[in-house]
Amino acid sequence: MDQSTALVRQDPPATFVAAPGVQQFLTFMLNAEAFAVGILNIKEIIEYGQLTGIPLMPAFIRGVINLRGAVVPVIDLSARFGARPTAVARRTCIVIVEMHHQVDDSEVQQDIGILVDSVNEVLEIPAGEIEPAPAFGANIRADFIRGMGKVAGGFVIILDLDRVLSITEMSQIATLAHAGTALAPP
Amino acid sequence: MDELLTVFVTESREQLAALEAALLQLEAASGDADTLHAIFRAAHTIKGGAGVIECDYIVAFTHVVENVLDQLRNGDIAVSAELIALLLACGDHIGLLLGEFEIRRVHPTAELQLAGDALLARLQRDARTAPPGLPPAGASSATQPSLGQDMIESECWHISLRFERHVLKNGMDPLSFLHYLGTLGTIVHLETVADAMPPADQMDAEACYLGFEIRFASCADKTTIERVFEFVRDDCTLHILPPDSRLADYIDLLQSLPEDTMRLGEILVRIGALTQAELDDGLLMQQPPMAGAAPPDVVPLGEILVQQQVVQPKLVEAAIIRQARVSDKKTAEARLIRIQADKLDRLIDLVGELVIASASVSLLASRSGRAELLEASSLMMRLVESTRDSALQLRMVQIGETFSRFNRIVRDVSKELGKDIELVITGGETELDKSVVEKIGDPLIHLVRNAIDHGIEPTARRTAAGKPPRGRLELNASHDSGSIVITVSDDGGGLNRDKIVAKATERGLLQPGHNLSEAEIDNLIFEPGFSTADHVSSLSGRGVGMDVVKRNIQSLRGHVDVRSAPGAGTRFSIRLPLTMAIIDGFLVGTGQANYVVPLDMVVECLELSPQTSDNHYLNLRGEVLPFIRLHELFNLPGKRPARENVVVVRTGAQKVGIVVDQLLGEFQTVIKPLGHLFQSLRGIGGSTILGSGEVALILDVPALVAIATRRESREAASTPAT
Repeated sequence: MDQSTALVRQDPPATFVAAPGVQQFLTFMLNAEAFAVGILNIKEIIEYGQLTGIPLMPAFIRGVINLRGAVVPVIDLSARFGARPTAVARRTCIVIVEMHHQVDDSEVQQDIGILVDSVNEVLEIPAGEIEPAPAFGANIRADFIRGMGKVAGGFVIILDLDRVLSITEMSQIATLAHAGTALAPP
Repeated sequence: MDELLTVFVTESREQLAALEAALLQLEAASGDADTLHAIFRAAHTIKGGAGVIECDYIVAFTHVVENVLDQLRNGDIAVSAELIALLLACGDHIGLLLGEFEIRRVHPTAELQLAGDALLARLQRDARTAPPGLPPAGASSATQPSLGQDMIESECWHISLRFERHVLKNGMDPLSFLHYLGTLGTIVHLETVADAMPPADQMDAEACYLGFEIRFASCADKTTIERVFEFVRDDCTLHILPPDSRLADYIDLLQSLPEDTMRLGEILVRIGALTQAELDDGLLMQQPPMAGAAPPDVVPLGEILVQQQVVQPKLVEAAIIRQARVSDKKTAEARLIRIQADKLDRLIDLVGELVIASASVSLLASRSGRAELLEASSLMMRLVESTRDSALQLRMVQIGETFSRFNRIVRDVSKELGKDIELVITGGETELDKSVVEKIGDPLIHLVRNAIDHGIEPTARRTAAGKPPRGRLELNASHDSGSIVITVSDDGGGLNRDKIVAKATERGLLQPGHNLSEAEIDNLIFEPGFSTADHVSSLSGRGVGMDVVKRNIQSLRGHVDVRSAPGAGTRFSIRLPLTMAIIDGFLVGTGQANYVVPLDMVVECLELSPQTSDNHYLNLRGEVLPFIRLHELFNLPGKRPARENVVVVRTGAQKVGIVVDQLLGEFQTVIKPLGHLFQSLRGIGGSTILGSGEVALILDVPALVAIATRRESREAASTPAT
């Protein structure tokens, strides 16, 4: 339990609701590209450490960590997007997000960690500054992209976390991968 | 109030279960008076409770049922199989009504209402056709000559009610009883007696100081009125004077109540029970009599009532017995505390955290090497262990309650199928975790139904096979090395292996020409989409059954196995862990990670002697021991160390070795589920947090063995081609 908490989400400041149509995003780097996710899902950001790998799982399921007594799975975003798995470096962080998904007609809350190369900052991006996702060219699946935010003359890819971290889809992939490794002749 | 409603529903369900059990007992061997009383009491308690929480439809329905039960109890109608079947159906209906009430419906659905009415109509017909017994209690009271000329002219009952101080604390609201009383007739006049109220500074706001004097016009009989107060019978002083009571009774009443006689008298006059003149006369009569001339009509109330034939002696006797029983039951209940399950879960969670934290403390202590610290931490460890054991003990319940539900199921299903089946239950006192008990019910029901439907043959075929015509179904529970084993066995025809193989081949579950052992064939029935029943019945045979059973049991970290002998029967055995929350584990290290083997499976540990061949077995004192290399099975990165260790584990009847890098020793672990993301993961049963804060994975040994077996058989299948 010696993971030091680098940044914990505070209660949103009073000005948060002031500007309608303006949303706050956390930006981070992954393979030298800037990505953003809405901050409402984010619970905290912790330093990378003490990760336990789970055998027979696809590469994007990096493992599990102990988050103050709870076992939280960590997703390697880079591997999820089809690139090589993230190499752990000094600034590697785990962003803990709170996701909701349906199990047997009831909503279940689950914390998931996402592995990123480094965390940049929290930005406000007005709705007018968000372009629709391009059909191709971003090197990741189009349905993972919620939009392209215009920031300082460049673009950041705003991720649709519900799609990227869909438990249903990920566990299906895991089932297939698992069936492949465990059952097929090697 | 919500809590009260929940308590009502829970208690009523318990009463329903008792009702059902007693009815079945009655059916099996026409029970004694005690059974009949038990049945009546159960229905009565439900009605009483429903009255208190003002659920009219349950009161209305249960009331009719109760009347019939009352007649049954008094011997007015005879016990018959039809009547019991009907009463069982009524019990089910009350259960449905409770369900309606639980979702806060003001009225039951029209469908349910119709079903209820139909049941009631049948009940009333049964009751009416029954031989008439004693005349109703009220009928004879008119013939009773009055002892004195001073009868009070009135058609109203007089009810005098004094609540005990603690009535509110017991969760009873006096007002509800009055409301309910109002449904039986009209409250003509009500006077609240607040004389017991102490000065404000001494008053306890949670105590009830009130009493009531009530004039009540109703055609209900005395027992009915008394039953209104059934629930507070021990918490109040109740006097009921029938209409046309003698003056002397009123005077007796005045004397027996704690308040000042004159003041009470005034109240009685005010509410119209007595006139002033009558009161004066009466009080005069009660003046200390002349020496030796005791007034002939001053007799205890109970006696008066009996004399008046308001109450029959038999009833009084029954009431006394009942009261004695009720108080017996009360004392038994006093030793039980109802606790909300989530409070208990929270406690167990905390104890779990405590176990982890203390593991971490003892790790640090042993690192520091300070003797006093080690001693203190080992003492704490021991205390934490016993705390854990006691906390887990709180969740332990006997499985008997779950088992006894099967009496009804077996009865219903075997009737439906026209089979004669005896259910034998053993080991009902075996305890296991409540959450396990809750989840094991459905798979068990499925197995039992299957055994009745497919297992046990029809009577004709049984006799032809030289078996006793009556089928036998056994449910047994027992403890076995840290787990509980539940078996469901029948003496039916056994599994038809030819049919299973044919079916499995047809469904593509089995390659033609593939030879399986008998046990493997038997276990094919747990494959998804498998059903050998030639015709689909309402009970089973849709082919969704056995794989669901297996999955449910696996989700409890359990295993199910089937053994069958053709012509002699089938036995399903379910092996379950005692608890879902904490296990004793054996910690091993392989590669970068730590793994936990459930300690109760570990037989021994030894060092793996350097292997020359590629074979995955070793010689364990002359025994062949197949082993699994975690490194290989999990495709772990990195090289295997030069020295490896073997943990010998026992799963079922099989002994298997697990080859790991290091042995790290015993460790108490709190099981943390891995969540839905890992639902496809086989071979890992869950995770746990070590004292160092690291996460370790708990090995699911039987699943590992299954993976290894399948892998090898595939390899073997693919090699002949090369």
